[in-house]
Amino acid sequence: MLLRYVNLWFSLAKFSLLGELAFRGNFLIKIFVELLWLGILLLFNYTIFQQTTSIADWNAQQYFFFIGCYFAMGGLIEMLFLDNCNQFADLVRSGDLDFFLLRPIDEQFLVSCKHVDWSCAPNILLGAVIMSLALWQIGWTFDTIQVGIFLVLFASGAALAYGFLLILMSASVWLMRNQSLFEMWWLFTTLMRYPSEIFKGPWAQPTGWFFFFVIPIMLVTNVPARVMVRPLLEPWLACYAIAAAIVVVAASRYIFRAALQHYRSASS
Amino acid sequence: MPIIEANGLSKTYRVYQKQEGLFGALVGLFSREYKDVVAVDNVSFTIEPGEIVGFLGPNGAGKTTTLKMLAGLIYPTSGSATVLGHVPWEREDAFRRRFSLVMGQKNQLWWDLPAADSFQLHREIYSLPSDQFDATLSELTELFGVKDLTSQPVRELSLGERMKMELIAALLHQPQLLLLDEPTIGLDVIAQVTIQKCLRDYNAARGVTVLLTSHYMRDVEALCKRVLVITHGKLVYDGSLAGIVDRFGNEKLVKLQFDGDDSPADVATFGEVTSREGPIVELKVDRARVPEVLAAILQRYTVADISINEPPLDRMIAKVFEQGTV
Amino acid sequence: MMKYLKILHISLTERLAYRADFFLTTFFRFLPLVTTFLLWEAIYAGAPKADDGAETTIVGFTRDKMIAYLLLVQISRMFSSMPGLATGIAHDIRDGNLKKYLLQPIDMLWYLLSYRGAHKIAYIATTALPYGILFFLFRDVFDLPGPWTWLAYFLSLILAFLIGFFFEACIGIAGFWLLEVTSFMYIVNIFTFFVSGQLFPLELLGEYPYLTAALEVLPFQYLAYFPAMVFLEKRQGTELIVGLLIEFAWAIGLLVFCRWLYHVGLRHYSAYGG
Repeated sequence: MLLRYVNLWFSLAKFSLLGELAFRGNFLIKIFVELLWLGILLLFNYTIFQQTTSIADWNAQQYFFFIGCYFAMGGLIEMLFLDNCNQFADLVRSGDLDFFLLRPIDEQFLVSCKHVDWSCAPNILLGAVIMSLALWQIGWTFDTIQVGIFLVLFASGAALAYGFLLILMSASVWLMRNQSLFEMWWLFTTLMRYPSEIFKGPWAQPTGWFFFFVIPIMLVTNVPARVMVRPLLEPWLACYAIAAAIVVVAASRYIFRAALQHYRSASS
Repeated sequence: MPIIEANGLSKTYRVYQKQEGLFGALVGLFSREYKDVVAVDNVSFTIEPGEIVGFLGPNGAGKTTTLKMLAGLIYPTSGSATVLGHVPWEREDAFRRRFSLVMGQKNQLWWDLPAADSFQLHREIYSLPSDQFDATLSELTELFGVKDLTSQPVRELSLGERMKMELIAALLHQPQLLLLDEPTIGLDVIAQVTIQKCLRDYNAARGVTVLLTSHYMRDVEALCKRVLVITHGKLVYDGSLAGIVDRFGNEKLVKLQFDGDDSPADVATFGEVTSREGPIVELKVDRARVPEVLAAILQRYTVADISINEPPLDRMIAKVFEQGTV
Repeated sequence: MMKYLKILHISLTERLAYRADFFLTTFFRFLPLVTTFLLWEAIYAGAPKADDGAETTIVGFTRDKMIAYLLLVQISRMFSSMPGLATGIAHDIRDGNLKKYLLQPIDMLWYLLSYRGAHKIAYIATTALPYGILFFLFRDVFDLPGPWTWLAYFLSLILAFLIGFFFEACIGIAGFWLLEVTSFMYIVNIFTFFVSGQLFPLELLGEYPYLTAALEVLPFQYLAYFPAMVFLEKRQGTELIVGLLIEFAWAIGLLVFCRWLYHVGLRHYSAYGG
């Protein structure tokens, strides 16, 4: 069963790549703009750290590791899911969603994984390079267990982000009629772009807790980044991140099914 | 056991009534009005294995909505149905493996890739065994005459070839039921005829049951012995194509060629003149009055040639649509 | 009884869904402002204190001026951002909806421009309240400028609207040639977020003269940074007039380019038979 889905995913990935190679121009322009963006992001932070010694207790190297982690995470989500989820609203509007429902396969899998956006794959690599450089500057010594924990938490962060994306996508069908999911996702992920410690002050602290514990979007990059570069990671936090990922993914599946039900009873 | 059994299927949906003007838009922010639209109203029928049934009706009559309910895509508001022994809207995998839905105006294949790649993907989605898949594929490409075209990107194919590829994709998993919505829309006459032939041959070879909607009477005439007519969501006719003529064809076309170069001036008193060219006149006459009218004409004039015809089928269907109910 | 409960339930969810659209998007649009604020608070908190106890400044901005700047770029973006414009045009090209502009005596670009203009006015009117509250809360960080600065500010905002419109329209029209504009637009938006100065005042990159020179010449800074600087009276005299002239030139330049691109695109489009 699982094997069938894995095989199917590889076929989808292969055909996506073939399709994209047919339009190389698009592919190259996108990679170029992504590189420009990363360059400016790094430059900005480099300049900031010439003016200040730390941002919310993260020193320069730690902060650069965080940025690498965010960049890799963003790239992963963009590559695997973002474009697919963005097309969902169009599928609903045009009625082409019908064809996804006819197939003897899980609708959520088909809707969210159909197309693999290969032009975002370099971002994951670049993110990894930045993380490695930051670790090298810190003078980190290789530790298999630490890397293992990081990978697990990175994966659960990705799962968490996927869950939120799916919820946003499903909700957008009847809550946000005219908005582009791309824009909403960019606005929403602003919460995972910075260390949670910046939420300081009388009104910011509770806001930070809210997005850490109630709608735990901040866990996505904060927890995996902390495990590598911050002094110590409390075990409860790691467990909490994994549990949150499971709960959010389960909730997203429930909401996606509800959206499908809504579509199937409202359309003609 | 029938392939499709529909009992009192109904579908009502709500549409938002947009208010006009800037003020209306502001009001719309706070209160919205909806209108209930009845798309399908209490439709019942059964279809037996191996049948090819035509589903006729004007635009917006509820044909596509009914097909979608039978495919399990949407829920009916009331009524029940059994398709291939399943309740369609429960959408069990076992059910979804056994039928196909093809829509003429929609494209299911990957646009930028050769059809062969889409077929491969299909094989994985339906988890078809390789040898069975290869055999079916070569049988179908043979039957549809597109063996050399499967490695061309779909966007480079003609509309007719693309439709054949769509049908092949739909038949790869050997469904027992094929639901077709306007399969020949936008095709030229030659392509229409080839698609019809392909469908007929496949039906003969595999005994697949087909339910098809079409605007083109030619499709229906060529393929279907039985038709369902739906107008305003209601099923108004279920029976043989010839039966429509009996039921609704209460007029005949009488074509007369008079002796000489011209037709008599008072010919219009015998019936409605539908065409008049020199000595040739075509009259529309109530079926019951045909002998009487003919006798009167023959008595008064010399007639070189007479023929009596049924009005064309599409005109008759149009009349059924207009009347709405029987 | 159950029937009426059901009706109540349905109408309640409908109403809520419709309002949720408005409130959720407004809420989402405020999020980057919040995080950018907090990021800068953290940066100022981490900066070394001057020995004489003077207020910390970063590239000439005190903390208060930075807050004012970050609020003002929001106003700029209110005028210059065009959500969905490029993707809308690209969709019209792909789906063949473009024909409606070709068959009717209406020009697509002028039509879209007037449509966007109306949309902007409606949007600004509906978000006036939350922004009003926000500015009131932070009223201490602003010094109100004189009438001439106000005039220049409004001028720069109108031009920002035009630059934003024609820039996005150009990307949408590129859909004649590009396979897929949506995900491309996502990247361009992220890129614009940085180079228009939404996250930081562009002085911060002052150590890289080539980069600042490039940004000076490119249109991006006029989408957010420049109007904010005008309001803060950091652009005055000749500098202000030259800035406005360059902004004007960009608006005209992009307009001309956009029209030309549309023209060429249409020829390309009809060559392919639509």
